[in-house]
Amino acid sequence: MNRTQYEYHPQVGYKFIPGLKSRVQHEGGGYFVKTNNAGFRSDQDFHSHKKIAKRILVFGDSFTAGDGVSNKYRYTDLLQESLDGTELYNFGLPGSGTDQQLLLYREYARQFEHDLLVISVMVENIRRVNAHYRYYLDAEGDVKVWQKPYFRISNGSLQLCNTPVYPTPINLSDLEESEKEKVDTGGRFEPVRKLAKKLGLKDLLQKIVRFQPVPEYDSAKNSEWLLMKKILQTWIEESEVPVLLVPIPMFHHVEGTASAKSYQARFSELSESCMIHDPLPDLLKYDLPTRRSFRFGKDVHPTVKGHEALAASILPAIRTLL
Amino acid sequence: MSDKYILGISAFYHDAAAVILRNGEIVAAAQEERFTRKKHDPRFPVNAINYCLEEAYIEPDEIDAVAFYDNPMLTWDRIVRSCALSGEGSLPTFTSAFHSVLGIKAWVKDHVVKAIGNSGKLGKIVFSGHHMSHSASCYYPSPYEDAAILTLDGVGEWSTTTIAHGNGSDINVLKEINYPHSLGLLYSAFTYYCGFKINSGEYKLMGLAPYGRPVHVDKIYENLIDVKADGSYRMNQDYFGFLEGSHSINQKFCDLFEGDARKPESRITQREMDLAASIQVVTEEVMMKIARTAKQLTGSKHLCMAGGVALNCVANGKLLREKIFDSIWIQPAAGDAGGALGAAYVACHQLMKEPRVALSGSRDRQKGSYLGPGYSDTEINAFLQRNSYPAHHFADPSKRAEKLASLLAEGKIAGFLSGRMEFGPRSLGARSIIGDARNKEMQSNMNLKIKFRESFRPFAPAVLAGDESLYFELDHDSPYMLLVAPVKEEILLRTDGAEQMPEDMISIINRERSLIPAVTHVDNSARIQTVHKDTNPGFYDVIEAFKKQTGSSVLVNTSFNVRGEPIVCSPADAYKCFMRTNMDVLVLEGYILIKEEQPNYTEHENWQEEFQLD
Repeated sequence: MNRTQYEYHPQVGYKFIPGLKSRVQHEGGGYFVKTNNAGFRSDQDFHSHKKIAKRILVFGDSFTAGDGVSNKYRYTDLLQESLDGTELYNFGLPGSGTDQQLLLYREYARQFEHDLLVISVMVENIRRVNAHYRYYLDAEGDVKVWQKPYFRISNGSLQLCNTPVYPTPINLSDLEESEKEKVDTGGRFEPVRKLAKKLGLKDLLQKIVRFQPVPEYDSAKNSEWLLMKKILQTWIEESEVPVLLVPIPMFHHVEGTASAKSYQARFSELSESCMIHDPLPDLLKYDLPTRRSFRFGKDVHPTVKGHEALAASILPAIRTLL
Repeated sequence: MSDKYILGISAFYHDAAAVILRNGEIVAAAQEERFTRKKHDPRFPVNAINYCLEEAYIEPDEIDAVAFYDNPMLTWDRIVRSCALSGEGSLPTFTSAFHSVLGIKAWVKDHVVKAIGNSGKLGKIVFSGHHMSHSASCYYPSPYEDAAILTLDGVGEWSTTTIAHGNGSDINVLKEINYPHSLGLLYSAFTYYCGFKINSGEYKLMGLAPYGRPVHVDKIYENLIDVKADGSYRMNQDYFGFLEGSHSINQKFCDLFEGDARKPESRITQREMDLAASIQVVTEEVMMKIARTAKQLTGSKHLCMAGGVALNCVANGKLLREKIFDSIWIQPAAGDAGGALGAAYVACHQLMKEPRVALSGSRDRQKGSYLGPGYSDTEINAFLQRNSYPAHHFADPSKRAEKLASLLAEGKIAGFLSGRMEFGPRSLGARSIIGDARNKEMQSNMNLKIKFRESFRPFAPAVLAGDESLYFELDHDSPYMLLVAPVKEEILLRTDGAEQMPEDMISIINRERSLIPAVTHVDNSARIQTVHKDTNPGFYDVIEAFKKQTGSSVLVNTSFNVRGEPIVCSPADAYKCFMRTNMDVLVLEGYILIKEEQPNYTEHENWQEEFQLD
């Protein structure tokens, strides 16, 4: 049994239920999802005014929220431990795209005094940014979708769509054909991925075919990338404090079975407006068995070791900005 | 000094469960079936363990010890020896036991590590004896510092019945009866013979007993069980199939009672009623004798009981009225689920030598048995909103109580999810279906329109603590619904002479016997729950509000489930049960939902085929 973790939010789609103390069963032995009174995964409540010298706000998806590990083992909490006189507010929201994270920032986080904004973009999130719905299988086994907010570029600006978000799941069959293409199913070639996972051949297949999981980054003119770039540019412009952009690599990149060049090139396009810290070179310094231990056996989220490695990589970058 | 945490586990036979203690205090306890929705789920309780860690808010490596409720090697020893004695006929039993005991039970530590990543600070599992676990489960949470302890069940390792003495933090076993002689197995044999499931249908047999005449008592004593004056007994194995195969009875048993076993779900006849009445009498008589011996051996004023037979609340009520002991405390999770609690206590008080928790004014250390998951209004709101289920929110608990009381007074039947879920087989007002006990149609409505089950089974009254003597011949708290007592003469209605038991039971069942007919059984008894403000303020407030509005402080309280389904745990379970049945109202903490206001509810599968009868 796992408790319901999310509540409806008309702008973002959903967020954590405030005051939650839930233990999630997991192949790693289970972990706690504890949320504060604002509904973010944190052992502490968030306050508008700083009580200590420095404060950093961190945004991201499940890799930042900490799926698979309890709060105290996440890279953000490890960074806080290493940074004397600094607190980190983790606004990570599992399953969210960078677009929803920008909305969270506008809705909740902007009001908090802070000195640094960290945007952790799990590179796969480019697909979520371009999705209008997320796939969902209900208790009866029916295929449904959750609507999500999304941006489109109109006259050079971001235009928010799908808000207020529809609060209940929608039957996939009720969507128009053009909208069905906008459902994020979690990656490309879904049937092949599922079969490979079921047969336990996922890692082997990846090694052999060197599948490139995020071709959206291949071209600077790719429309999906242009939307992602626009969202990040807008967010950076809205921020009144320095921004650290951290592209979080997928396991394919960490384990050397897919090239990172494309996404690295794309994120570097933003290097003039903010500091970019790519943790991949640091992660690649570890030997392969160690890198493999950065994720769980089946779940691709970072293990405690994975979070430690991320924290070790990001720490110097943060120090230069504080 | 850091807190000491002990995780107790029971599994692999029936009703798996997990419990966690902090410094000897129960923090959480739950049965696995509530999470998996499979009744009496025996599988390793990964969900219940997860919940216990959630409630304690600790990581697995903070657990000081993990305790298991019995010793698989002793069970294996019993099986090998029993099969060796029985010869070739016992091969199927041996093969099945080989897989069950050596294939699963022997690897408890591996199961723990797989579920939570490690096995705690001790790094190994503490195995408690099965009946020691039962003894510990009833003595340590009881209010007593000195008590006789009686455990009775089918079988655990070798023992089937034990008398022990609890004093301070110690428990000493004084006497035991071993397999295959077992009062629990005898009762189960009759359960099976009457067409109910063993290990879960026993309470049905108990409910059937008042309809029958105990005409087979002599036959049972003469052929099946030889009981001595001190309550020790031996069973005549010629009539039972425990040793040879999976069936509890054999042809000779059927011949003795002149017929085959009743087929499940077929019509219940006078024959089954008489058999039920007869074995009930024998059970009660044996229990009285054993209790007297326990009193002699220990000299204690108080009695603690556990084991499946301790759920026989009719016998418990008689034991209390016999006044062999000044008071009795029965573990509400008396079956194997409670073994998880006992094992944890054994590790706590006997291995780690932790002192018992002070009572501090409480009635006992079981906390009303409200030890399972609870849900906040915020969580429930999220559930309702995500599904667009209309509901009325009452931030003030007294307003909720008033509204619900007025609906109940109108004759509505309500599903009630409030506070932390009960540990044990009884719904005690945290996951209950409730209604007006004065309503003469309530019993048949609840049975047929909501529970979808045989209608002979009585419902229990929940009465405000302090008011019990207004309605019942009871001067003892009964917070765990484990005592049966007569309904007060003053509120009984006159019946026209002696009742003949017709072949059709319905006319008898629906007869109005008292001013609280919905909870008055055919023999004018009731299985009583006294509701206490300190352990369940939400339920107490509802009954109190009902009393203000109607003058009655009794409600019908039955488990929040349909036939064959585990009691609901989560708001989603509760909503599903609400919509599948003809309940009128659903309470989810501070929210009240009205059936007519809900959207259409459809399911792909026929849920009535999902759950099997006990």
